[in-house]
Amino acid sequence: MSNEPHILVIDDEPQIQRAIRTILTEKGFKVTTASRGEEGLTLAATNEPDIIILDLGLPDMDGVEVCTRLREWTQTPIIILSVRDSERDKVAALDKGADDYLTKPFGIEELLARVRVALRHSTRTQGTQSKVIKAGTLTIDLVWHIVKLGEEEIKLTGTEYKLLAYLAANHGRVLTHQNILTEVWGPADADHTEYLRVYMRQLRKKLEADPERPQYILTEPGIGYRFISDG
Amino acid sequence: MSRIFIFQKGIMKSVAMRNSTFILRSSHYLLAWGSVALVTAFLITLRAALDTALVSLLYLIPLSLITAFWGLGPGLTSAFLTFLTFNYFFIQPYYNFAVHRPTDVVILVIFLIAAIVISQLVGRMQSSLAAATAREREATQLYELSTALAGLHDRHTIAKIIAKQVQEFSHGEAVELNITGTEAFVLRLPESGQPPRPAEWVGPIQVARGVLGEIRLWRAGPALTSGEKRLLQTFASQGALAFERARLAQAESRARVLEESDHLKSVLLSSVSHELRTPLSTIKAAASSLRSDDVHWDSAARPELIAAIDDEADHLNMLVGNLLDMSRIESGVLKPLRDWNILSEIVSSVLVRMKHLAEEHRVEVDMPESLPLVPVDFVQMEQVFTNLVSNSVKYAPEKTVISIRAFVDGDVLHVIVSNQGPQVPQEHLEKIFDKFFRVTAADRVTGTGLGLSICKGIIEAHGGKLWAENITDGLAFNFTLPLIWAGMPPPKLPMDTETE
Repeated sequence: MSNEPHILVIDDEPQIQRAIRTILTEKGFKVTTASRGEEGLTLAATNEPDIIILDLGLPDMDGVEVCTRLREWTQTPIIILSVRDSERDKVAALDKGADDYLTKPFGIEELLARVRVALRHSTRTQGTQSKVIKAGTLTIDLVWHIVKLGEEEIKLTGTEYKLLAYLAANHGRVLTHQNILTEVWGPADADHTEYLRVYMRQLRKKLEADPERPQYILTEPGIGYRFISDG
Repeated sequence: MSRIFIFQKGIMKSVAMRNSTFILRSSHYLLAWGSVALVTAFLITLRAALDTALVSLLYLIPLSLITAFWGLGPGLTSAFLTFLTFNYFFIQPYYNFAVHRPTDVVILVIFLIAAIVISQLVGRMQSSLAAATAREREATQLYELSTALAGLHDRHTIAKIIAKQVQEFSHGEAVELNITGTEAFVLRLPESGQPPRPAEWVGPIQVARGVLGEIRLWRAGPALTSGEKRLLQTFASQGALAFERARLAQAESRARVLEESDHLKSVLLSSVSHELRTPLSTIKAAASSLRSDDVHWDSAARPELIAAIDDEADHLNMLVGNLLDMSRIESGVLKPLRDWNILSEIVSSVLVRMKHLAEEHRVEVDMPESLPLVPVDFVQMEQVFTNLVSNSVKYAPEKTVISIRAFVDGDVLHVIVSNQGPQVPQEHLEKIFDKFFRVTAADRVTGTGLGLSICKGIIEAHGGKLWAENITDGLAFNFTLPLIWAGMPPPKLPMDTETE
C-alpha cells in the first residue's frame, strides 16, 4: 500500500472517468474507478479509499441510495457529481451524509479544491481540529468565542455567532440549509430557511467588506452556504 | 316559447290517441250519434215553427261541427243518420220513411249530398291540418336538435344532447347511446340504468365511413309509429353528422398543433446547431492547435487558446442549460421550489457569478433593506436575473449603466432591470419574449434567442408578469412577483439583538 491518497470514482461515463483519472493521477492521487453502484459499494469496502467521488446518475441504482448505504458503515468523505438543475437530488444526497458536491461541467480547480477540503476533513476526524479559523482579515477563535476583523473585535449576537462558528468549523464544505438550521436553530426549525436568509444578511453586513459581493460566506444556490477560509 | 308549447301539445294529443285508439274511436262515433240525437230532439220541439228546408239547413251546422271534432267516420255516419232522422221526424208524413211531396224528395237528396260533401271536405281539411302539425313538430324537433348540436366538438356532450332529445320526443323510460370505435363509450339516460329487457327501438348512428354506434330506446306502452321511427332515425343521422364534425375538427386542430411544433422544432434545430457549433469550432481549433507542434510551450498564444477553450465550454454549457430550461417550460414541468428569500442575496449571487461577463458595464443595485422576503425559487430567479443582465450586457454599449431596483407595489414586488442600450420598436416590445425572436439580425449577436422567453416562463410560473418598456435613455425589463405565498404574507422575524 502506497502513501498517496486513494480516490474511488463511481461514474458510469467513461469520458468523465478518464478525465478525472488523468487529472488526479497527475496530481499524485491513486485512482480506482467503478461504473456501477454495486461495484462502487464493493470497491469502497475492499479498497478503503480516502475519498469517494460519486455520480448521482448511475445506471443500476440511485446515487442517493449509494450515499445512504456507504454512510451505514463508513465516514469516508463523499463528493457528489451531478448536473445543473438537480438541486433537489444534491440536497438529498448531502442530507444523507455526502460531504460536498460538484456540478458538471466542472473546472479542475473546483475539483481539486473539493478534494483538498475532503481530505482535510477526513484526517481531522482522526486527528486534531484547528481551534482558530482564519479567512483574510477575519479570525474566529472557536475556543474563546472571539471574532475579529483585523484587530477589531466584532460583536455578534448569540445566534449570529452560532451560525458563523458552525460554518467556520466546517470551512470549505458546503452546508445545506437544513443542516445549518438543524444545528443552529434546532430540528423543529429545520424548514425555516427564512431565518437563515435574514441572519446571513446580518452576519455578512458585520463581516464582509462588500456584503453584496461576499468573500467569506458564499451562497450555494438552492443548496446552502460555504465558508471559505485560508487553510 | 310558442314553438315548445305547440310541440308539447302535439305530444299530448298523439299520446292520447295512441293510448286508447279503439275506445277513443268508438267513443267518437257514440258522441257523434248522441249529438245527432240531441240536435234532432231540439229541432222536434221547434218543428211547428220551422220550414222543412230550414230544418235541413239547420242540420248541416252540427254535421260539419261533428266532422271537425271527431273526424270523417263519425261525420259520414252522422250524415246518414241525420238523413234518416230528417226523413223520419221532419218530412210529412211524420214518423215513417215515406215521402209524398216531390219537393221533399229533392230536399232530401240535396241534403244527403250536401251532408256527405261537407263531411268529406271538413274531414279532409282536418286530416291535412293534423299532417301539417305533425310535420311542423318534426321540423321543430330537428331544428332544435341541430341547433343544440351546432358547434359542439365534445363527443360526450353530443351524445348527451341526442339522448335527451330522443327521450323527450319519445317519452321513453331510458335511452342508451353506444359509441364504438377507438374512443368507445356508453351514455345512459337515466344514469341509473336500463329496464331489464331488450330495447324497443334500436337505430344505427351511421356515417359514410361506417357505423359509429347505435341508439337504443326503451319505451313501454304502444309500439312506435312509423312516423316516430322515421324521426328517431333522423335524430340518429343528425347525431352521426355531429360526431363526424367533431372528429374532423379534432383532426384539424391536431394537425395544426403538429405543424406548429414541427415548425418550432426545425427552427430550434437550425438555431441550436448554429449556436452549438460556434463554441465547438473555437474549442476544436484551440485544442487541436495546442496538440500540434505549431504552438510552442512558451508561446504567448498558449494561455490565450486555453482561456478560449475554457470560456467557450462555459458558453456551451449555458446554451445547453437554456435549451433544457425551455423544454421544461414548454412541457410545463418547471415548478418553482419556493422559499422565503431575500431578493438582494439572489442578485448578489448572480453578480458574483457574472463578474467577468459584466465587467465592461457598471451594474447598480438599488434594493432597500426594508424589502420584504419574497417567496421564490432561488435558482430560477438567479436564472431570470442572469438572462436579463446578460441581455443588457449584450445590447447596451460598454461603460453604460445597468440598473437593478425593486420596490413593493401593493401585494407584489416590482423589479426593474434597465439598461442604456438601444430601444426596441413599440411593435416588438411583446415579441422579444417569443422564442427565437430577435430585433437584430441573428448573426450579429450570439445566443439561442431563448433567454427572455425563459425569463417569462419562470416569472409566470411564479404567478408574476414580465414586460419590457422603452425608457428615455434605453430599455427596461419590468417584472412582478407576488408577495403572498399560500395565503401568507412575508414573515417578520423576531431578531435577537444582544451580543455575546
